[in-house]
Amino acid sequence: MTVTGSRGSLPEPATVRGRFRIPQSVLGYALILLPLVVMGTLILYPAFLSIADTVTEHSPGGSLQVSLADYVEFFNTPLAVRNLAFSLRITAVTVAVLFLAGFPISLYLRFTHGRLGNLIQMLALFPLFVPGIIAAYALIRFIGDNGWLERFLHLLFGYEGFTSPYLRPAGIVVGLAWEGISITVLILTAGLSQIPDSLLETATDVGANRWQSFWRITMPLMKRSVLIVLTLNFLTVFGSFTIPYLLGPASPEMMGPYMRRTFYDANLPSRAQVQAVITFLISAVISLLYVRSVVSQKVEEES
Amino acid sequence: MRSMVGRSLRLVAGRPWFGICLLLLLALVILGPMLNVFLWAFTRNWAYPSLLPTVWSIEFWDDTFARADILEGFIASVWISLIVTGLSAVICLPAAYAFARMQFPGRTFLLLSFLATNAFPRFGLYITIAVIFFRLRLIGTVPGVVLIQLVNTLLFMIWIPTAAFQGVDRALEEAALDVGASPLRVFLQVTLPLVAPALAAALLLTFIGTFYETQGALLVGVPEVRTLPVVMIRLINNQVIVQYGAILSVALWVPSLLLLIFAQRVLRGNTIASGFGV
Repeated sequence: MTVTGSRGSLPEPATVRGRFRIPQSVLGYALILLPLVVMGTLILYPAFLSIADTVTEHSPGGSLQVSLADYVEFFNTPLAVRNLAFSLRITAVTVAVLFLAGFPISLYLRFTHGRLGNLIQMLALFPLFVPGIIAAYALIRFIGDNGWLERFLHLLFGYEGFTSPYLRPAGIVVGLAWEGISITVLILTAGLSQIPDSLLETATDVGANRWQSFWRITMPLMKRSVLIVLTLNFLTVFGSFTIPYLLGPASPEMMGPYMRRTFYDANLPSRAQVQAVITFLISAVISLLYVRSVVSQKVEEES
Repeated sequence: MRSMVGRSLRLVAGRPWFGICLLLLLALVILGPMLNVFLWAFTRNWAYPSLLPTVWSIEFWDDTFARADILEGFIASVWISLIVTGLSAVICLPAAYAFARMQFPGRTFLLLSFLATNAFPRFGLYITIAVIFFRLRLIGTVPGVVLIQLVNTLLFMIWIPTAAFQGVDRALEEAALDVGASPLRVFLQVTLPLVAPALAAALLLTFIGTFYETQGALLVGVPEVRTLPVVMIRLINNQVIVQYGAILSVALWVPSLLLLIFAQRVLRGNTIASGFGV
């Protein structure tokens, strides 16, 4: 489609554009070149360079050869393996917590209208408006020793057995769940809103009960949104740094803080590279699932 | 089992108590931490187990803003965020126009390729960038911090403006062209005013997102470049006086909240979700 195409048979005004024009595709490529170059140099190049660096080594003769020695070393380091397993465990728990908390909220928001629903939505989206570093600080005060949560439990229920999750594994889960709940609810409600009321009403008309229409209609139509939420949350949590660094224990630690310590404190960039590539490989399948479900959705919208 | 779940589902959706419980729980968990920080900012003493500060005071406010590290961090953050936002706009906005308005092979694929920023575990990606910066001696420099923060901005700065340009009614532009306006004039006087709110929102989101960006700045900036979030991390780790961090949080968060609310009003509800692929 050209710019002038829809103007029918009106004569072309004598503009500069009319006499001399660059083909639209050339101009289009020229305009999008810059961000593509930035993405290539700042995302793809570093990632592939690290992969290349870590699977090769210089032989005594000076030539490059393929070697997986760096990875063998990683998996022979008990601390590294322990941190990796810890990261995966925290990630799995956080993704599950986010889904189990976010899905009921989204369902509630989809099927209720009115002021209560609006308030709940505002609260659920609130963390989106709190920068991560401020949220981390606030959560430390809230869940920490002698924090507000402990005081509440003490005054309301006389509960004395509170152990603060701050600087414990649970602290990471709390922090990441607090930060992630908004996006989870946002994506799930967006998915639910694409299910037309008429479809659910039809199901009720032909005698389906709430549970049946939920299981047979809502869930199948939600598959993609659920997949996007699970995969995106996995990538966000697994690749996180600030919350585990500030709220988590010093040992074991998640891959984020561990990689920074290797890079910065231990000053071993090449070993940090190996750790980073391992996080890439582990999330590769998840990334693929995420990108594929988003792409299929976008392509559908475009057509 | 199924009918039991079905019955409870029916009960839940039909009664307001579920909503009210949800509301109270969310209010405690979501608002509690922020409210707590607000109170800390106006506290001198807060003995356990009192729910409210035992001695109120604003004496720490002057101290906080007199601290050299906070002042320098603030200036560094403002400058770096301005540079990143400007750079991101120059790089991305023409591309957004092209994605919205021009036809070329591979357009949809290339537009979606910017999802790559979401598809890597973020901190692992930053480590691989930092390794290159280490070799290029960009660690501890402002250009290093600017470049690593630029990574975060691409997706929103392309997707939001692309959607905005696509939303402009072409008939308006064509009408202006028909009455003899030059393409440049049509762009400046018809197209631009229509997309201005969305562009402003994209710029604002980018600025705020960059201002509070923590992990890239910490990894690449330290020790020479310290943005405000990095200063804040030091305050948290040192735990000297609780009030400094609390006051900084309150002072920084309120303006950002107002700006973000503005940005969200301008954008259609689902724009933020669309950045994550929904």
